[in-house]
Amino acid sequence: MSLITPPATPSTPLTVRRGHRLRHLRRHPEIVVGALVVIAWIVLSLLAPWIAPYHPLEQHIADRLQPPNDTYRLGTDELGRDILSRVLYGGRITIPAGLAVIVINSIFGWLIGAVAGFVGGIWDEIMMRVTELFMAFPTIILAMAVTAALGPDIRNAVIALVIVRWTNYARLTRGLIIEAKTNEYVEAARALGAKNPYLLFRTLLPNSIAPVVVYGSLDIGNAILLFAGLSFLGLGPEPSSPEWGRMISIGIHFFDQWWMWLFPGLAIASLVMAFNFIGDGLRDMLDPRTR
Amino acid sequence: MPLYKYVLRRVLFAVPLVLGITVVAFLIANAVPADPINANLPQSALGNERLVAAFREKWGLDQPLHVQYLTYLGNLVQGDMGVSIRTNNPVFDDLRQFLPATVELATVAIFVGLLLGVTFGIVSAVWRNSVVDYAVRVLALIGVSFPVFLLALIGLTVLHAQLGWVAGPGRLGFLLSRPPHVTGLFTVDALLAGQWATFRNAASHLVLPSLVLGLYVSGIIARITRSSLLEVLYTDYIRTARAKGQREHAVVLRHGLSNALIPVVTLLGVLYGNLLAGAVLTEAIFAWPGIGRYAYRAATSQDFPAIMGVSMLIAFIYVVANFIVDVLYFFLDPRIRYV
Repeated sequence: MSLITPPATPSTPLTVRRGHRLRHLRRHPEIVVGALVVIAWIVLSLLAPWIAPYHPLEQHIADRLQPPNDTYRLGTDELGRDILSRVLYGGRITIPAGLAVIVINSIFGWLIGAVAGFVGGIWDEIMMRVTELFMAFPTIILAMAVTAALGPDIRNAVIALVIVRWTNYARLTRGLIIEAKTNEYVEAARALGAKNPYLLFRTLLPNSIAPVVVYGSLDIGNAILLFAGLSFLGLGPEPSSPEWGRMISIGIHFFDQWWMWLFPGLAIASLVMAFNFIGDGLRDMLDPRTR
Repeated sequence: MPLYKYVLRRVLFAVPLVLGITVVAFLIANAVPADPINANLPQSALGNERLVAAFREKWGLDQPLHVQYLTYLGNLVQGDMGVSIRTNNPVFDDLRQFLPATVELATVAIFVGLLLGVTFGIVSAVWRNSVVDYAVRVLALIGVSFPVFLLALIGLTVLHAQLGWVAGPGRLGFLLSRPPHVTGLFTVDALLAGQWATFRNAASHLVLPSLVLGLYVSGIIARITRSSLLEVLYTDYIRTARAKGQREHAVVLRHGLSNALIPVVTLLGVLYGNLLAGAVLTEAIFAWPGIGRYAYRAATSQDFPAIMGVSMLIAFIYVVANFIVDVLYFFLDPRIRYV
């Protein structure tokens, strides 16, 4: 069950001439805004060790549960740790985790989908049925089951998200490969004596990877939300970790100390929204009907 | 194609899916954990060799994998999904107890989502590229971008704690007793028993969680309604309707919307499944005693059989919901009847 269904194969090539691309970008300011926010978050989390006022685990017990003030710009938590520093460090967990899910899914999903689409026949049929099965399971609960089985930590949360979300990538790739393999350049390569692995990796891969990458960029927002959800449920990093979802799950026990859950929440929301801005803009830009 | 044939075909399609779900659940339950005994038995039972042996015997863990699966399926058909590590009850009984609360919440939420989403979608499509359109699209983006738990916490702070407009966590106030059990849905049971105060209180407790969940699906519904209505509004029959001198709202609502909603209906099954899954996070925050909160508490206490039970139950509901949608589709889209 996914929120975004894989986009249909774009009928126009993704590489548009440069002038066109810039003009399109002007007509889709949301892509620029989204990209700026994403870049800002990446820079902030990369620079966190230098710009964060405190270490994310440093406790100031005397200053616990302080509302935002001049010393602690976003307040402190129940152990007197600085929320601002923790939010800045949090990006160092969430962004790589989201990226890892997308990259592994793209590779894994591409391989499975490509083989199914290329070989066809019974293998294709089996693959399609298997993906339908996985899609029947509720994403977050299946991910909960897998992390609970493997033991809760960041790596297992990523593995769980790969297991629950590879199907979209596989189905998308399968469609692309089935369409691409009828092209004349594939015929030509085959006529020249190319073997199947060569056809798959040297001829079809470069011609089918772009839409998968685009879909992945649309999907990062979902991956981050799911990751935050898992760690909110206690199935991600350890409790003291400055991970956003984890901070919120502790914050709800201190409901009146709103800064404890609001700021990490806004961090997730702003990052996911920025990715969705980019995704929406890209989809509009690549959809010939909306031009 | 007559209706019975269509339904039969859909049923034939659903059966292997349901079987497949049990295969996936079985593989995760027995193949993924390093040691299924560790994952499925409470810590206290692990030292007891007789309990471990009994567990091994019951689930056929010393048999080859396909025999294990058949044992698993046999137990499942008898309603045996294992015993919850946390509550010590059979998972099946727990699920039966907690499901009505979730059904009540998800059903109200899907209506909230449809009402908001379709309205937003129409407004956005009719005044395309206007300020209203942009506002709606940003709102829809918020709906799909904000973590459910953040929306819930903001809603609780503003609408409950600050303004006091709606009730907070839980299904009923402390002073009220549950209405006599008929359906398990508190609002319906209270109405059936004629207990108005209980009904009002239960409804007030429903507002926030269903709004949060509804907002989450309304974004998706608004997007689909908008794009499909836009597509429909440029078709020939709409031009014909306009040429006949029909009023604009009749054109949009009667001629346009009834066709534009078909993709929304097809998605309802998936959305309902999404809602049940989204309910995990919502119920955790609102202390809503449904299967979502059950799954949450199971997850935090490493109660593996319980989580597997919830995920399988939701997968089944998803298949059934999609089956119902398929049948609805038969009535909505006359083209199917002629295939």
